[in-house]
Order: sequence, then C-alpha cells, then structure tokens
Amino acid sequence: MSGAASYLARRAAQREKVRILYRRALKDTLNWAVHRHLFYPDADALRERFDANKNVEDIETIDRMIADGEAQYNKWRHPDPYIVPWAPGGSKFTRNPTPPSGIEIVYDYGREDHI
Amino acid sequence: MQSLRDSMLRHLRTTLSTRQLILTKSVINRQLCTSTHTHSNHDQVIARVIGLVKKFDKIDTTKVTGLADFQKDLSLDSLDRVELVMAFEQEFSIEIPDEEADKLKCCADVAQYIISAPKQDS
Repeated sequence: MSGAASYLARRAAQREKVRILYRRALKDTLNWAVHRHLFYPDADALRERFDANKNVEDIETIDRMIADGEAQYNKWRHPDPYIVPWAPGGSKFTRNPTPPSGIEIVYDYGREDHI
Repeated sequence: MQSLRDSMLRHLRTTLSTRQLILTKSVINRQLCTSTHTHSNHDQVIARVIGLVKKFDKIDTTKVTGLADFQKDLSLDSLDRVELVMAFEQEFSIEIPDEEADKLKCCADVAQYIISAPKQDS
C-alpha cells in the first residue's frame, strides 16, 4: 500500500518537475528568438520534444529524462533573459513607486483660487 | 527683422488665458485617470482573457466561458496550460510565479489574479 502511495507521490513530483521545466524552457525559447515569427516554430519544436516522450511509463526512465532535460536547459540558458519591466530586476523596477497612503499630489501648488 | 517677427507672432498667437490652460490641463488629467480606471475594470479584463483563450488553437471556441475549467471542460493538458499562462503573461505584461500559475483553473481565476496582482508601473 505504501509502495503504491510513494509511487503516486513520485509520479506527481515528476509531473510537477516536467511542467516547470517546460515553462522555463518555453520562456527561454522566447529569450533566444528575436522575433515572434522565429519564436513560433521554436516553441512547436520544443513541444514536440516533450510530446515525444509523453507515454513513457517507466519511472526510472522518466527520472533520467528529466535530469537530461534540466541539464540541457541549464546548458542553453540565456545569459541576459527578458524581465518584465516592473518585475524585480526589470528596467522599471521601483522607478516611480506609488506614494505611501496619506500623501497626495497637489498639481497647482494651491494657486487655483488666485487666478 | 526681429521686430517684424515679433509683430507677426503677436498677431498669430492664440489668446489663451491661464485659466483656460489650467482647465484644459485638468480635463486631460481627468481623462487619463478615467482611462486607467476602465483599464483595470473587471469586466474588461475578463473580456480580454476570454478573447485570448478563444484564440488558442487547441480550444473549441464555443465552449469558452468565464467559469469553464481549462483542464476538464476545455480538455487541455498541463503543458497547454503552461502555454496559456505564458500568453497571459505577455498580454498583460505581468510575471506569474510558478506556484500561482498552477492555481489558475478558469478565466475568472485569471482575471481575479490579474486585478489583484501588485502592479508597480504608472
């Protein structure tokens, strides 16, 4: 019984790992592709490589494949990946942050009534 | 030459008092504010999300609704969902962390996440 449970747990962990690996690899594909029209075939090729081993059942083989895939991902990782501008590390990160609550901006410096 | 230019400019210059200037400025400010408000409007976000999901080629467009589950109702596998999450990230220019991406099950979830996500721009 515990053997079956641990088998299922291991399969779930593998599924999670493959999902995260695919997500990272797909993002990295976008980093390497300079234009969208170059990205689409690359993404399709990546998806095909994942789908080719979709029906592998042997748990040890899957482990080996995941390790192999992660090694390949690390080898081809982009040195300067795209970061969303306002995410940590992005070019707009903490630039013009929202002022703390209780502070308001008076645009006309109080001169509205004296015109 | 200089005096000629001055006199021409004096005739051509539009007479716009400072009060009018400030009025137009405040109108522009108000318009900018309203445009950002409607942008974060819930209905508009969910419409954009549904439009994006409908463009995904593995999905039957007639089945897409706000509450249709990606996995059960739209029969997507986990890798398709990864692709979908990446499309959302690019459409809304946000960064969705891995653990959050797993929780997004339907269009309404995605819209809720996008609205509640802390945004540092503007």
